[in-house]
Amino acid sequence: MRELGVVLIQLLRLAAYVAVHTLIISKLVLFDVGWCFFYLGFLLYLPITTPIVVQLLLGFVLGFSMDLFYDTGGVHAAAAVLLAFLRPWVLRLLTPRDGYDAADSVNIHQMGGQWFVVYLGLLVVLHHAAFFLLELGSFRTFGLTLAKILVSTLFTGITLLIIQLLFFPSRRKR
Amino acid sequence: MRNLFAFLFRYRGVLVFGLLEVLSLTLLIRNSNYHGAAFFNSSNAYVGQVLDLRTRIYDYFRLVQINQGLVAENAALRQQLYPADTAGRVAAVLPVSPDSATQARLRQSGRPDSLLLGLRQLPARDPDYPLIPARVINNSLRNVDNYLTLNVGSLDGVQTGMGVLAAAGVVGRVKVTSEHYATVTSVLHSKTSISAKILRDGTFGSIKWPGEDATHVLLDYIPRQNKLVLGDTVVTSGYNAIFPEGVRIGIIDSFVKEQDKNFWTVRVRLAVDFTKLTYVYVIKSRPKMERDTLEVKAGLKPEGEQVRP
Repeated sequence: MRELGVVLIQLLRLAAYVAVHTLIISKLVLFDVGWCFFYLGFLLYLPITTPIVVQLLLGFVLGFSMDLFYDTGGVHAAAAVLLAFLRPWVLRLLTPRDGYDAADSVNIHQMGGQWFVVYLGLLVVLHHAAFFLLELGSFRTFGLTLAKILVSTLFTGITLLIIQLLFFPSRRKR
Repeated sequence: MRNLFAFLFRYRGVLVFGLLEVLSLTLLIRNSNYHGAAFFNSSNAYVGQVLDLRTRIYDYFRLVQINQGLVAENAALRQQLYPADTAGRVAAVLPVSPDSATQARLRQSGRPDSLLLGLRQLPARDPDYPLIPARVINNSLRNVDNYLTLNVGSLDGVQTGMGVLAAAGVVGRVKVTSEHYATVTSVLHSKTSISAKILRDGTFGSIKWPGEDATHVLLDYIPRQNKLVLGDTVVTSGYNAIFPEGVRIGIIDSFVKEQDKNFWTVRVRLAVDFTKLTYVYVIKSRPKMERDTLEVKAGLKPEGEQVRP
């Protein structure tokens, strides 16, 4: 019964992230080079113990629904699946000295600011690099692409940090 | 057998990852063909509904801009209604085919209304060249390949391959249609190639989008020996039968002679402001099918090849 509740909550989160992204965030562009990939918040804030196959499938579904909206074929899906694949590696890389607790989640208050910023920055920059290079299909205008990657990483990172500070509980649930 | 399952289970992450990546990349490659998968894009009905909803939300923030645009367009239309000299309103000078059937239908429907789209006067209700007014409900500008979604579809008579114009000039070409929506390949697409000419002297060239800036395109294949003038108007040539001849594309902004090249490098400022695109018209040029079959028969064009916008 508890598992069912968790699944339901995650599905609601998925719907909320997709709705907010497509209805509000998707038209924001910063200096012509920065986009906010708000929907990545769903993948990044999944429970740490989510099975890898489920994560990959969720990444694909999420990316593919974005591809439908942006008419991009499979760029969002490819990058989101890559993100879902890299997340466990990054989590393993950042394992605290005595491993993750059962109650640990991706939460800035529990894991500390430094841990969180490294986690967020690393995954977002990898995702954006993959996304913009795939979209370009070549290394033609490399300077512009690099600027897009950097500005978008800052934009997405700061937005997701704000989401984390606003909506995630500061105390552990007991 | 058990070892096989154990192996598959052990590497399930990598295997599923590989599978999904291959799937996404296949979708990507199929989409970048000119006629991609017809279902998986924003002309899909469900996606179209969400985009409609989003447009309604965004419209609240743009009401002033939209009103100003409509007022300007109204003013232009009124000017057409009451021109200084009424000569331009006579049906004989409109680009209507002179065959007797069309003329008879025109006589029956009275004087045709006309719209000024990109310097070109087009009849609004000519049954042979229907102008379908449409609303842009999704528009991208800063990607490598940009697309628009319109709120008209096959029920309104839109078909794949029709041209799309705005009041100021050329916008793009219909890529896919569903019943109520259509996806349009915009001029801002890496594979754009529109046959164009300079209005002043009729030199032919080809329009390309270099992919950086939503306000400028390049005009290729203008020979070095030609004289160019800043501010010259560039219009469609009518060679590829998607757009009528003489629709404005933009004006020449700068030109440079580069070493070891036979052609000028000409930058053209687009007449259409893609950042504010709201209302467009889908146009059809009737003889296209006939002309394509003729050109295939004559061996000018391989069968099945699609003409790009």
